[in-house]
Amino acid sequence: MAAAAQKKAGSKKAAGKKPAASRSKSKAGRPPGSKTARLARNDRPEKEVLLQLYRDMLLIRRFEEKAGQLYGMGHIGGFCHLYIGQEAVVVGMQSVSKEGDSVVTSYRDHGHMLACGMDAGGVMAELTGREGGYSRGKGGSMHMFSREKNFFGGHGIVAAQVPIGAGLAFAHKYRGDGSVSMVYLGDGAANQGQVYETFNMAALWELPVIFVIENNQYAMGTAVPRSTAGTHLFERGAAYNIPGQQVDGMDVLAVREAGETALAHCRSGKGPYILEMKTYRYRGHSMSDPAKYRTRDEVDAMRKQHDPIDQLQEILLREGVDEAALKQLDSEVKKEVAGATDFALESPLPAAAELYTDVLVEIPASTA
Amino acid sequence: MAIEIKMPALSPTMTEGALARWLVKPGDMVRSGDVIAEIETDKATMEVEAVEEGVVEDILIAEGTDKVAVGTVIARLEGGEKARLKPQLKPGSG
Repeated sequence: MAAAAQKKAGSKKAAGKKPAASRSKSKAGRPPGSKTARLARNDRPEKEVLLQLYRDMLLIRRFEEKAGQLYGMGHIGGFCHLYIGQEAVVVGMQSVSKEGDSVVTSYRDHGHMLACGMDAGGVMAELTGREGGYSRGKGGSMHMFSREKNFFGGHGIVAAQVPIGAGLAFAHKYRGDGSVSMVYLGDGAANQGQVYETFNMAALWELPVIFVIENNQYAMGTAVPRSTAGTHLFERGAAYNIPGQQVDGMDVLAVREAGETALAHCRSGKGPYILEMKTYRYRGHSMSDPAKYRTRDEVDAMRKQHDPIDQLQEILLREGVDEAALKQLDSEVKKEVAGATDFALESPLPAAAELYTDVLVEIPASTA
Repeated sequence: MAIEIKMPALSPTMTEGALARWLVKPGDMVRSGDVIAEIETDKATMEVEAVEEGVVEDILIAEGTDKVAVGTVIARLEGGEKARLKPQLKPGSG
């Protein structure tokens, strides 16, 4: 763990318009993952917002657990990368985004789809390769898109989504629609060359893009310090004057606060922003990863002390939300996931003729 | 209602595996995410995690059993609402 909780890199200052944007600056020195500091805060969002965050994180957790189970039963083939443990990152960020903002991410993408408001049944049906899936069962876990929700995909190639996200930001700027592109990438992707070409162009053209580095501390099986010179990933934009901030990515409220700062920066035309989210995935890199590169104790300690859902549950109980209400939410979420699973297993397999669709763009004869 | 835990396929090519070790016994409470068993596949030893909360009712396949087909029921859980919500309020523990 890096020592500094939040630090600014680069010369630009993130002086957002909204008062919320300046709040986070007083938090320097708070160790990442400290529960008590967060619990002592008195500027928390309203109870309804907290409950929505709780529900959104729980939906991802239960959805992913079910996906893992379906994989074990042979209903999901190929690759499957679960987001369990990292829920606070995408839920916190998407909770402060606005309609019109676009999202693009890597192959660990189911949580992002759900947080963007995509239908759980459509996502699960894509995982099981069925006609009812977002890509009609032909894309699978890593390849789903929703134009309606401005979700531009899971991408299977490490860091390939980063320049695509800058392209989306370019479109927002060109159209002058005031929207921001949110690009999610992992700590492994942060060492790819195309990320730095993207940083250069994004800063040069002052594109409204947030690079959310989800540092779950292992690039597949390689710990960050073993593969990375300079482990403060939020400082990676320093050469391009892109401000960066490290955030406790296990704390959904810290994520929200940082997201507000970054979004205000981008919306006010100051160019890109980097957020390094310190997070953790509980499962292996993919389903067939036995995860022997870390100890069980390390995983258990993270789950027991820093679980994003448990932390928020604790806050909700202290705020006076009663257990029965949370149980009710829990059973609603389970029902939603069960419904998505039924849909995914009842939906037919794609017809053989689907092999020939969505391969080439069909150009009407008159324009050819 | 009893929840059946089946031998999972832990890789795309796995059809059977050895039940190397049980980490729980009947009467134990498990929570989603707890490691309950270790399974040897053709490639590696993998951990099996619980996906439901409940109390272990029955272990149906003894540890050390080879060639357990994917899909075989290996244990049963007694699912319970009581195990679902377990806030860890530890004042002063930070």
